[in-house]
Amino acid sequence: MATFNFKKREIECKIVYYGPGRCGKTTNLEHIFKTYKKQVSGEMVSIDTEGDRTLFFDFLPMGLGKIKGCDVKVQLYTVPGQVQYSSTRKLVLKEVDGVVFVADSLEVRREKNMLSLKDLHENLKSYGSSIFKIPLVMQYNKRDLEEEGIPLMPIAQMEHDLNRQLKAPSHAAAAISGMGVAKTVTDCLKLTLLHLQKELNWAK
Amino acid sequence: MGAAAQIKTLLREADLYQQQGLLNEAKERYKKATEILRKNAGITNSQELIKSIVKKVVVLNQEINKINEAATKPEVSDQKQDLIKNLFGGGKDEGDGQRALEGAIALAKFGQFERALAEFDRLLEDDGLRVAAAKNIVRCYIELSDLDKAVERFSAWVEDDAFKDIDLKKIRFFLENRLRKLGHDGVLPERTQVLEIEEIEVDDQAAGAGKAASEFVDEVEAESVDFESELELHEEEFLDINSVGIQLAPGNSKGQMFEFDVSFQTGNSINLIIPNTEKTLLKELKAGTKLQDMQFFSPIAILNGSGVVTSKTRIKSGPKEGDFSLDITILTT
Repeated sequence: MATFNFKKREIECKIVYYGPGRCGKTTNLEHIFKTYKKQVSGEMVSIDTEGDRTLFFDFLPMGLGKIKGCDVKVQLYTVPGQVQYSSTRKLVLKEVDGVVFVADSLEVRREKNMLSLKDLHENLKSYGSSIFKIPLVMQYNKRDLEEEGIPLMPIAQMEHDLNRQLKAPSHAAAAISGMGVAKTVTDCLKLTLLHLQKELNWAK
Repeated sequence: MGAAAQIKTLLREADLYQQQGLLNEAKERYKKATEILRKNAGITNSQELIKSIVKKVVVLNQEINKINEAATKPEVSDQKQDLIKNLFGGGKDEGDGQRALEGAIALAKFGQFERALAEFDRLLEDDGLRVAAAKNIVRCYIELSDLDKAVERFSAWVEDDAFKDIDLKKIRFFLENRLRKLGHDGVLPERTQVLEIEEIEVDDQAAGAGKAASEFVDEVEAESVDFESELELHEEEFLDINSVGIQLAPGNSKGQMFEFDVSFQTGNSINLIIPNTEKTLLKELKAGTKLQDMQFFSPIAILNGSGVVTSKTRIKSGPKEGDFSLDITILTT
């Protein structure tokens, strides 16, 4: 849950990048870290295995400066995507304010995307939150691989599989080159801050 | 698409999946390519190709095994452990002790048991956090599958004056439940020294009651087992409660606050002993009675909330004979 310091006029919120293993969650954060130096307020910390797989989480603190007279701080996290890290995923998701769901566009990852979204739904539910209510943005990643001749799912199919009920804002992306990364995080931040405005009235 | 073109596509995809870290998907592609090669022996260099694919699959298998066998929660550096404590420990507005406890719990949750145990050990010095720290120490050893060590630590606390009898009861109940679930048949020691002192100080009749008192603990604990699964979910979220205030809405006692010490607590379930002299109150309290107006006194906070009486048992023997044992499940705080 976000913290709002009324005296200091400072709000801090938590955004989590969720999705199946190897879908590009860490790559999203790495791109933000490299590209938005001004807004990044600390080092990006990754706890990963030898094989580049996120083990616990990645963490990137950001300061967005003053918005409506309030100092806005954001903590970006990724969860470990592999199935065996279920308990860690749940821990990282605790008190989340906004979620970016990174889906893998590769046809072979269709089922993994759906299972991961289901996992997100269940974990949010266990914290008394709802996937239908939490600020959520979908990102269809790895669109660049189409050029390599690798079978990708059409965006329409991914929307149908993952977003037909949620109707969350969605973006095609290629996190490796940065395409769609900024749009995704910006959308999620906007939704999250609007949602927190209703709850905490921070921008009054 | 001809067989050769199919194989070419499959091998390209396999290579790309491998680059993406999608090892099982890469392996699947190699497998399909091998099948096609075997069915089409006429393809140039098919045997060499199969050999080359087999080599790649061996490497893939090694990588897959390495990932599967890797510890899911290995120990990380001190710096990263500090970060885990800061990010997943207590809030900024909490006291130092509570924040330290939550930081240590966060470390344990992330599998950093060595450091977590060191921090819980330090928290044993804090009167208000001793029971919570002890329970978490026990939990760490259970997570580490070192049940004997958990029992050994408890045995040492039995001899330690820092732990009050009531604290030991709470920890004992907590540990016994977990050991029972894990099929561990070890017996936890009793604090015999205290009973011996009582025997010296009181007359024969009361000395006999000492034994009955321990039977009473067993009786109440047995009744509480039904709530275990529910408690598992909420246990960590509840503070240790020393005493409670109960205010009844209807009846003769309206507006009067009754206060009782908590005999023991597991998660959101507390047990109270109500003296049989509190006849009016006892008349109002039955299994299923909802208590809308309760106060919970913990070492660090006083909370208002509600609860429900889950059982009321008359104590048949021992020093509290005739009094009532009341189990209450806390609904809200």
